[in-house]
Amino acid sequence: MKRKFYLIFFSIFICVVCASKTSAAIQQQETETAETGDIILKPSPQSKNAIFKSNQEVLYRLQVLNNTHDYKTGRISYLVTTDEGKKVAADTIHLAMHGRSSKELTIKVPPKPTGFYRINFMVNTADYDDTVRKVFGISPENITSQLHRPADFDEFWKQSRVELEKVLPKYRVLEHPELSTSEKKVYSVEMYSYGNLLIRGWLVVPKDGKKFPVHYRVPGYVVSLKPNMDNDDFIAFDLNVRGNGNSKDVVNVGTDNYCLVNIENKEKYIYRGVYMDCIRGLDFLCSHANLGIDTSKIFVEGGSQGGALALVTAALDSRVKVLTMQVPLYADIHDDMNVSASYDKQVFPFKIFRKYNSMHPGFTWDKFFQTFDYYDPQNFAQMVKCPVLMGIGLLDQFCPPRCSMALFNHISSTNKEFVCAPNSSHEVSFNYFLFQNLWLREKFRIP
Amino acid sequence: MKQTATVALCLLIFIVFSLPFKTYAGFPIGKYRDIVVPSFSYYSQTDRYDINGNIVKGQPGARFSSYSTSLFIGYGITRRLDFIASVPFLYQINALGKGNSIINQGVGDLVAGLSYNLVNFNYKRFLSVQVSGVVPLYSSNNGTSPLGLGDYGSEIKLMYCGSMPGKGYFNTELAYRRYFDYQGPDQFSFLVTYGYPVTKHNQISIDLLLFRSFSDNKAFNSNVFAERDYAFFKPQINFGHQFSRRFSLFIGGFYVPYGINTGVGYGGSLVAVFKL
Repeated sequence: MKRKFYLIFFSIFICVVCASKTSAAIQQQETETAETGDIILKPSPQSKNAIFKSNQEVLYRLQVLNNTHDYKTGRISYLVTTDEGKKVAADTIHLAMHGRSSKELTIKVPPKPTGFYRINFMVNTADYDDTVRKVFGISPENITSQLHRPADFDEFWKQSRVELEKVLPKYRVLEHPELSTSEKKVYSVEMYSYGNLLIRGWLVVPKDGKKFPVHYRVPGYVVSLKPNMDNDDFIAFDLNVRGNGNSKDVVNVGTDNYCLVNIENKEKYIYRGVYMDCIRGLDFLCSHANLGIDTSKIFVEGGSQGGALALVTAALDSRVKVLTMQVPLYADIHDDMNVSASYDKQVFPFKIFRKYNSMHPGFTWDKFFQTFDYYDPQNFAQMVKCPVLMGIGLLDQFCPPRCSMALFNHISSTNKEFVCAPNSSHEVSFNYFLFQNLWLREKFRIP
Repeated sequence: MKQTATVALCLLIFIVFSLPFKTYAGFPIGKYRDIVVPSFSYYSQTDRYDINGNIVKGQPGARFSSYSTSLFIGYGITRRLDFIASVPFLYQINALGKGNSIINQGVGDLVAGLSYNLVNFNYKRFLSVQVSGVVPLYSSNNGTSPLGLGDYGSEIKLMYCGSMPGKGYFNTELAYRRYFDYQGPDQFSFLVTYGYPVTKHNQISIDLLLFRSFSDNKAFNSNVFAERDYAFFKPQINFGHQFSRRFSLFIGGFYVPYGINTGVGYGGSLVAVFKL
């Protein structure tokens, strides 16, 4: 009897452990969207986040499905290029598959130097062509980049802070019972910021407690932030910087022009005020502890433009204790320009910058950088001392992974982590946010 | 001797019952965070199950009661690795009938070990393994003590837990414990817990525990170690209330509807959970 128990116990033990490891791996692959087509290619990197070491062979498992009832012949190939579009590896094999069949191939790419690489998997038959695009990284924590930090960069932002402090905030906090729930109170918040411009935000305070850490969210590019009702353990403060959401009284331009407002004048470029709006938001939080705000536990977060704003806020102000950002926009703007030059079709933000450049002959790229070097988030990175979590999508063309990692590697804080979403473009996966939630609890020791 | 044997039997069962399963379960505690779980438990029995699972009535006036306080602590060393430890303090009254009773009290077995999260399934479900040691904190006479087996031991436990689709959570634990004595015992247990939030701050949970303890010595009356061979099934229902993010309280009750060579026990527990 006892032997039977031993046998059953340890058999179950081993089976469960093995099955769960396999299940976890399969689960990772199944997060990809189901694809359709005559012949389907499903590449899976050996490293689940598609990040490899520089001395490591890059391995992909390529599943090929013949979705038709016909015998198919042709070729399957892969092409690896750098971020500049330079070919560094390629191979082709003959394809012969019966109808409704599948096969699995192992793709081996020789070790590559540090960086990110685009890998295209292609299938070509007499009547069908398809390409699946992926990106893998090689030791991205070793990516370096040149800083183009103006000599008077610190003085420029010090002066900006001085000018901000001259503006009386005249805070106005108004409770909105119609938006509040039995568990949370919703307030609209108004304040005056840099240039005496009115900006607004939303504050959501849980009712079941007296003091909460703060989730301070700053917006993406011309995105309207609404009251964040999803956060039970934090006070949620969502600030619409000038020109975003309900802060469009003065600046109200569309997405095609927002990043161009006064771009030819570094003193008046729109992001000077935007960055200062984020600091003004902090001023608001730190002067309203009476609303239950734990001013010693403020974390700032944002995605895309919000990622850049979050980083700049953390860099300029030590009242931010934790920084999380996703796909930070404008990072390493010089290299962003180089990488974007290799795209078949231009995308934001250089689509807008290039258009402006072409329509304004006097506005050279040198002039562009003379302004933007004061605003490139990478130039703020060394000033970030708090814990940092960054998420990137490897297929992102708006914020190329190489630029995001260059920014990340310049951050002074040693308490920093990054998460790669291998199948995401200008976004991160849902799992990233689950991890971010745990990560924040760890940093703030929240139960 | 029979009464002494009964005490030991009850004690074994009680120790199993008093572990704070539901408060820690297989969920990783989280790096740098602590969980402290003081608890109070009550166990009582008058009748017992014989070797065939039949109920044998106790003698008139005879009753075994045990009151225990226990302290469980857990600390997240890393995101995957937790340190856990628990120690009980026992107070037992063995009423023999006719006004006679025996009282024993003292600290019981320290259980300490490490729990490691093997796999996390999208941060929703977790598979963990726990290895721990058992150290008796009381003196025993030739391995005999009313406060425990008096032997060192070790345990390995596989835990799978997480969220249910929709509302609620579950926890399953498969454990094997071995005491380092020539007679063992070797103990296998399987626990299933299902918890359901009835409101944001209140929950109901059900525990189902199957327990089997093997020993070469199967006699009931010959000596105290004769009671090392037994089995039981124990359902328990709990109600939990979250007073704050850091403090919750659980109250529960249990009954043993089936057993072999064990007591027809019932009782309850009050468990406080502090997350620091």
